[in-house]
Parts: sequence; C-alpha cells; structure tokens
Amino acid sequence: MDINSASVIAAALAIGLAAIGPGIGQGNASGQAVAGIARQPEAEGKIRGTLLLTLAFMESLTIYGLVVALVLLFANPFA
Amino acid sequence: MSSQSPESIPKQEDGLMTLEESQEVLSSDTLATESPPQGNSMEEYYQLQRTLLLTTLVLMGVIFFPVWYFYSLNTAFNYLIGSAVGVLYLRFLGKDVERLGQQNQRIGSKGLGIFAVLIIVASRWQQLHILPVFLGFLTYKVAIIFYTLQTVFNSGETKENDS
Repeated sequence: MDINSASVIAAALAIGLAAIGPGIGQGNASGQAVAGIARQPEAEGKIRGTLLLTLAFMESLTIYGLVVALVLLFANPFA
Repeated sequence: MSSQSPESIPKQEDGLMTLEESQEVLSSDTLATESPPQGNSMEEYYQLQRTLLLTTLVLMGVIFFPVWYFYSLNTAFNYLIGSAVGVLYLRFLGKDVERLGQQNQRIGSKGLGIFAVLIIVASRWQQLHILPVFLGFLTYKVAIIFYTLQTVFNSGETKENDS
C-alpha cells in the first residue's frame, strides 16, 4: 500500500472515529435538554445556555479529527 | 401567592359562591400569574451569547498584536482569519441551539462546513498557514473557559457572602 492510499484510509478513520463519541454525546445532551425544557419551561434560557457551552466543547473533539483528516488529505507531510 | 381582594372574586348571579368554586377561581388565577416569564428566560440565553461573542472579539484584538510582534503580520492575519471564522462558528452554534426543539435539523453542520472550507483553503493557498488559522479558530474556546471560570468564581463568592 503506497503512502497516498494509506493517508486516505487514515483520514477516513480519523474523521469517522472522531465523530462517533461526540455524536452520541451531543444527541444525549440535546435530548435531555429538550426534555428539561419541556419539564421546566421557566428554566429554558439556563438550559439552552448550558447546552451551548457543552456542545461547543463536544464539537471541538470532532474538529480535532477533522483537522487531522484534512491535513492528511491536503497537506500531507509524508507525501 | 398573595391573597385576592374580595372585589376581584367573581360572584354568581345569586350573589353567593361555594367554597370549591372560589378555590377554583383562585387556583386558575394563580396559574395564570405564575406562568413562566418566557421572554426573561430566553433573555438570559441571549445575554450569554452576547457575552461569549464579545469576549471572543476582545481576545481576538488582544492576541493579534503579540502575534504580530513576536511572529509576523502575515501570521497575525492568519490568526485573525481563523478567529473570525471561530466567531462565525459560535454564532451558528448559538442559532442552532436557539432553534433546538422547534425545527428538525442537525446541530453544528453549518459551522463545521465553514471550518472545513477554511482548513482546505489554508492548506491549498500558500499565503495561509494551517497552525495559526486553527489556533485562531480555537479562540472561542478560550472565551468559553473564561466565562465558565468567571461563573464558578462568582457563584463561590455569592455562597461566601450568603454564609
């Protein structure tokens, strides 16, 4: 397997694996937040604020994987 | 809930009202007045959004000059582009969270798309470098950490004052 093929496979694995955990986490957090808003509509602002902060942190994990994948594809240091 | 004045309790045509009926009237009035102030609740969220955006913009301005001084103007502009995309991403994320539960849509896909385009352009175009652009993009995260620490210390101070 040459370096280009290996890079493409590595990029696919990087973004794919990096999206699994945050995807599950974001789904859980959003679902719980919507349930919380339905139970306590008076706390909607607080719940959405906390969700915004947690989603920003969770999504950065996907972003790390995305950066690695894009660097491997477009600026590969080994190719 | 405060007690109602006798004038505000509606009377039946014969002038008398049973105990159950008056309690019903009272409880329905209580529910009406204690319904959540929806606007105020969301105002807190909008305030958080504004604070985060403002903190990110301030950090952008503060970090730009040291990068210019220690590295170069080109690197500083790279950082500025990255942080501007970070602000845009935060804005999109805020809008997505605001619409959560009202529309059936995916969260954060627009922001991730913009970031992917930025990294591809940075890797293709010789004038842009990936590292300063990426670190600039992460400025919004520093703003979030700032806000979180501020909230933690403020709540700690409030507890000390209460006790």
